[in-house]
Amino acid sequence: MHSIRWSVLFGLCLAGPLAGQAGRRDTGTITIVIGAEPTMPIPTWSSGKANADVGNLLFVPLARLGRKLVTTDEKSFEPALARRWTRRDSLTLVFDLDQRAKWQDGEPVTSRDVVWSLNRARDSTVSLTYALLLREIRSVTADGPFRVVVAFKRAYAEQMFDAVYHAPPLPAHLLDTIPAGRLTSSAFASKPVGDGPYKWVALEPGQRLELAANPDFFLGRPRLERVIFLIARAAEAQLNLILDGTADAYEAPLVPRQITPIIEKPELRISTRPSLIAGYLLFNQKAWGDRSKPHPILADPEVRRAIGMALDRNGLVKAVFGPYAGVIDGPMGQASWVRRVGPKLPGANLAGARRILAQRGWTDSDGDGILDRNGAPLTLRLSYPGSSMPRVLFAEPIQAALRQAGIGIELLRLDGAVWSDRRARGEFDIDLSQVLLDPTPAGLVQSWSCAGIGGTNVASVCDPAFDRALDIAIHAGPEAPDRWRDAIRILQSSNPAVFLYSPAGTAVVHTRYRDVSIRPESVWADLWRWSVDPAQRLARDQR
Amino acid sequence: MAAWLVRRFALAAITFGVVAVILFALMRAAPGDPLSRLTDDRPMAPAEVARLRALFSLDQPVLTQMGRFAGAAVRGDFGASIEYYPVRVADLVRARLPASLLLGATVLFVNLTLGIWLGVLQARHRGRRIDRWLTRLSLTGYAAPSFWLALILVSLFAIKWRLLPAAQMTDPLLPADAAWWVRARDIGAHLILPTVALAVVTLAATMRYQRTAMLEVLRLDFIRAARARGLSESRVIWRHAWRNALFPVLTLTGLWLPMLVSGSVFVESVFNWPGLGSLAAGAIATRDYPVLMATALLVSAVVLLGAVVTDLGYYLLDPRTRDP
Repeated sequence: MHSIRWSVLFGLCLAGPLAGQAGRRDTGTITIVIGAEPTMPIPTWSSGKANADVGNLLFVPLARLGRKLVTTDEKSFEPALARRWTRRDSLTLVFDLDQRAKWQDGEPVTSRDVVWSLNRARDSTVSLTYALLLREIRSVTADGPFRVVVAFKRAYAEQMFDAVYHAPPLPAHLLDTIPAGRLTSSAFASKPVGDGPYKWVALEPGQRLELAANPDFFLGRPRLERVIFLIARAAEAQLNLILDGTADAYEAPLVPRQITPIIEKPELRISTRPSLIAGYLLFNQKAWGDRSKPHPILADPEVRRAIGMALDRNGLVKAVFGPYAGVIDGPMGQASWVRRVGPKLPGANLAGARRILAQRGWTDSDGDGILDRNGAPLTLRLSYPGSSMPRVLFAEPIQAALRQAGIGIELLRLDGAVWSDRRARGEFDIDLSQVLLDPTPAGLVQSWSCAGIGGTNVASVCDPAFDRALDIAIHAGPEAPDRWRDAIRILQSSNPAVFLYSPAGTAVVHTRYRDVSIRPESVWADLWRWSVDPAQRLARDQR
Repeated sequence: MAAWLVRRFALAAITFGVVAVILFALMRAAPGDPLSRLTDDRPMAPAEVARLRALFSLDQPVLTQMGRFAGAAVRGDFGASIEYYPVRVADLVRARLPASLLLGATVLFVNLTLGIWLGVLQARHRGRRIDRWLTRLSLTGYAAPSFWLALILVSLFAIKWRLLPAAQMTDPLLPADAAWWVRARDIGAHLILPTVALAVVTLAATMRYQRTAMLEVLRLDFIRAARARGLSESRVIWRHAWRNALFPVLTLTGLWLPMLVSGSVFVESVFNWPGLGSLAAGAIATRDYPVLMATALLVSAVVLLGAVVTDLGYYLLDPRTRDP
């Protein structure tokens, strides 16, 4: 009798959703696992991948980058909120808005919204970051309710990109009465009203975010009616949610040991694409935590070059990522168009590295296998966050490889916050960095030019020749690819880092979805075009 | 007894104050600036950063910060979270507390029912096969790290056999209008694996303590006398022996009471369980001082409460522990 009772209870617990859910209608639902909280998915108000992923479903830019992510060719952009754009002259772009577009409160999207949003983003008292990115825009004005004129200070190839990429329009009628300093704590920040294919429903902090289809979306009604983002910080939980069928989609740079169990699930489909993520060993050119003094070892560009030569980058990347990453030759992801024009770096040359170090006075005088000079060993500390699996996997092979060249590496596996804090303060010798870059190479000014010191240029990289080349490349016209090639070559020659890898963006999607298209710069932006195969509908696709 | 209680609570309050000061000082001494992380995530103007720094009193000396924090905390106000700003810390804790309580209470319940019963069972069958097997199993469970066990359980029951959900507390797609029993069943199914992962270790300890305590009591004369009076074996065990073998388990229960709110950071991470443990883990990673202080103080309060409850239990059950 007891066992029967327990069986019934256990069975109740394990039973799946009840059959006979009469009266439910077919819709489409997708559950996506994300690794961070979309705390404020509003363009220009926040950054980070989770915010961008959600923000792309709520807000529509004037135009989207073409599939090849070429930022210098305005013809390759795809219309979005602007149904067309024309050029008045080399300094002026005119955008005609799609008059069907409406905010989710029913108000039309007008030129006033575009003008307000771009002008707010350009305001250096609001955000220095965006003011810097949009510094070449001279003015943004309305020419009637549905026409916007953007004037630039000078002619350059990325005008279109600057006008449309950084600051998608926000609803001015809801925001222009709120003081600038209070916007991020306003009601709008906790429940944004967009013009995109999906509407905000609810956020449970640390748990889930639900979006619902916007039936009035001006480009067409989304075929998936519900989008649920599940927030799971731990990598194990993220993978488990997709493997046990709770979630339908997941996207992250993955290593083979994470991909293997996914491949074993026939209902999951993996698609990989080049990403904008770049990983590299960044050399601090100033002393540990003291930017007034040069680094005792790494200030010497020849030593930096020797470290780069001692590493078999191809072998390292293959060992960690298998086929799911590529080697890079500059601070740019595989998806960056500059990577296609940039010069290649030579392969590993251990003997050459030893020769250079010997020429610089580094010899193994005490026979301990580590080079030394004037009694000081050639030992450096490699910092990386313990939360990043690829970097954890890279650290020891790098240590072993550099040991072959007589370079001692002390591994500093740090808590994420400590790593970030130390990095910002310049408290590192070599940092194993991994960054998500903008599609435009113009962003290099922030981390690799003298102007970026004190900001994101944490390694105090400063080469006036590169700065000049960078300025020329940013402001080049049709010859931009050649100028970028020149700039990257100069950067490579100063050896500020060992450029290592750009992982593939790996998207895992349940096979029941059709018309799946994934944009290289924004994974879920085309979600509204997806649909569920009627033959494979699950209970979750009904409401 | 009233005087005893007042003394005991006063001591707990002083301890709590000392713990709060130490926690505050340790958190401020730890490397990492919460606003530098926040500004990584949100491009903010220097004026906005300065406003937030002032808002969270981060521009003040540590002693001033501590004074302000203590003043607000005694009113139950822990301020706003830095990571989830402008959400109030109290709201975050309130949202996460039920999940922690549910998991903690379930683990404690399993522990205090199954653990005690198995411990008593072992004592009754001392030296026999069932005792030997339960000893082996409990030692294995005691030695297994919860984190590792959680991964194994998920891999088998959720991913390989698909019998139970791998993570979350509820099905994210459960309709808002689902019947209460559908919700209860859903939560029950999600509760099984984290409960097992957490309970295995504590269950083993309860079994060991209960077995030892029972064996000591079963040797005593009054048990022999009870049997001689012809009482049934179950009456001898549960009415006479077990009540006298409760003290070690009472101590353990007091030690485990904090589990009600703290859960386990690792287990909550693996199961993405929306409890205070994962909230605290996130707060550590982001240096969200207000959230970290609130969760740490809540756990401290329950630890101290557990100690008071244990002492009270001894006071009531064992007259020898009372002051003359």
